[in-house]
Amino acid sequence: MNITIDVKEMEQYTKVKIVGEIDAYTAPKLRETIFPYAEKKNTKIVIDLSEVSYMDSTGLGVFVGLFKSLNANEGTLQLTGLSERLRRLFDITGLADIMNINSEVEGGV
Amino acid sequence: MGFRDVMHEKYKEILESYMEDQNEQALYLSQKFSRKSIEYKISPEEIISIHKTALMELEAERSDSVMPSFDILLEVMMGYGLAYREHQSLRTIQQELKSEIEVAANMQQTLLGTQIPDVDCLDIGAISVPARQMSGDYYHFVQDEQGAVSVAIADIIGKGIPAALCMSMIKYSMDSLPEGRHEPYQVLESLNRVVEQNVDPTMFITMFYGMYNTINHTFYYSSAGHEPGFFYNHETKEFEELYAKGLLLGVDKKTKYRQFEKRVDVGDVILLMSDGVTECRTEEGFIEVDTLIGYIEKYIHLEAQEIANKVYKELEYLQDFQLRDDFTLIILKRIK
Amino acid sequence: MDSCVKIINEWDIVAARQLGRNVAKDLGFGTVDQARITTAISELARNIYLYAGQGQVCIEKTEAVGKTGLIIISEDQGPGINDLRKVMEDGFSTSGGLGAGLPGVKRLVDEFTIESNPGEGTLIKAIKWLR
Repeated sequence: MNITIDVKEMEQYTKVKIVGEIDAYTAPKLRETIFPYAEKKNTKIVIDLSEVSYMDSTGLGVFVGLFKSLNANEGTLQLTGLSERLRRLFDITGLADIMNINSEVEGGV
Repeated sequence: MGFRDVMHEKYKEILESYMEDQNEQALYLSQKFSRKSIEYKISPEEIISIHKTALMELEAERSDSVMPSFDILLEVMMGYGLAYREHQSLRTIQQELKSEIEVAANMQQTLLGTQIPDVDCLDIGAISVPARQMSGDYYHFVQDEQGAVSVAIADIIGKGIPAALCMSMIKYSMDSLPEGRHEPYQVLESLNRVVEQNVDPTMFITMFYGMYNTINHTFYYSSAGHEPGFFYNHETKEFEELYAKGLLLGVDKKTKYRQFEKRVDVGDVILLMSDGVTECRTEEGFIEVDTLIGYIEKYIHLEAQEIANKVYKELEYLQDFQLRDDFTLIILKRIK
Repeated sequence: MDSCVKIINEWDIVAARQLGRNVAKDLGFGTVDQARITTAISELARNIYLYAGQGQVCIEKTEAVGKTGLIIISEDQGPGINDLRKVMEDGFSTSGGLGAGLPGVKRLVDEFTIESNPGEGTLIKAIKWLR
């Protein structure tokens, strides 16, 4: 079970591309990689999940933590490219209503 | 010259020097050699082979000079002996930790134990199997004086000991709700406030809370991000999702929960589950909802507990007996 | 025979081992026990050489009710050990090729005592009984 996390700091936002599975084994790596960006003021993070094949509740926990941390620092989080399965996970948990999911990124990606 | 060759040459030098005059210094060098070989993960049998090759190269097959060579071998193997004993002792410590966790798991079972309510109109079954020793799934039944049966099923995000600790907190906040009947949405709203205040910001809880009114045979329910349950209509023989949407517990303290209701007739079945059931993975990927429903349908005519046991057995078999997630399935069947 | 060896350079470790081996042989210890005793001495002397700079290792015959043994006394006025519990823990020193460490020495002998005060030095006594 592997994961690759690619972070690019762009002019207007921080772009993250995740490839692989997000579960109890890979979630700590994801958390360590992304959280430092969320702790800065006014950050906008856009995460591309189009190549995430699986995510369990631990993975979901990382995104909720990230969302809360960004909110506290006046930042924003946007998730893109969610598969139907992932989309369902965010729907059931009510997170789709409070997070910015699968909408178009300004200026295109 | 490769690393192995260097080690080999070094060993031969030590051996040659010791066979000459059996000096203590050669033995000390052997001890240092031992340390190096353990550091570079040279196995005991490799040492024996190094020893043998060195002997052959020194043309020392004659017994009188072979004897001292074993002092060198003994000195070199001493380090391995110590490493082995240390390993043994660490294993003992690991055993102790394991049994402590077992004790904790038993305590968890006792602390969180719940009695399946006994009401005439319902046949209730429940099964909960942890993926590891301690479960992150939780379910609880409450029966009030007016005859309503309430059921809570929750999944703590995260597994093992931290999840178990968190669960005890949930259990006690549920126990300390004021007396009287509570609507499902009220229970979730009050638990949400407790979780939001007390839990680590990356730890979350999903919960489905339902209340079965035994007088008007209506099931009232609310969900905080929990896997939707299923409803089996006895008359049409069809399954439908017990749709309920709501935010996870612990994200936002002002969250309001919607309450849904469902009329239940004789023969109808309510199935509640944790995501260990729907996220069941096999070699070929996830099982589809239809497959899951297929299994449930196969056993739907049985008693509630039997349905739960049989469905668990099927999914356990599908996953080659290796649960990736905690598994909880609760079944309420109206029998009259 | 002088029963103590001053540890100043690495070759003094060999001298300490030699002394220990001689005493062990005289007392009638078998080959494997001789090797255990010298390994213990070696570890203690090496600790002095590496961490304290200098000190001494003494090896003597010792007697208790009905038994005879060999005692190793290792003494230095070095920096001492801050957290004894930690150095006596398995897995603390072995992994990096640092050798058996003090838990290893403790396993090689029958009795083991250690006293250490930061800034004052360390005193270790280890006894192996003759079986």
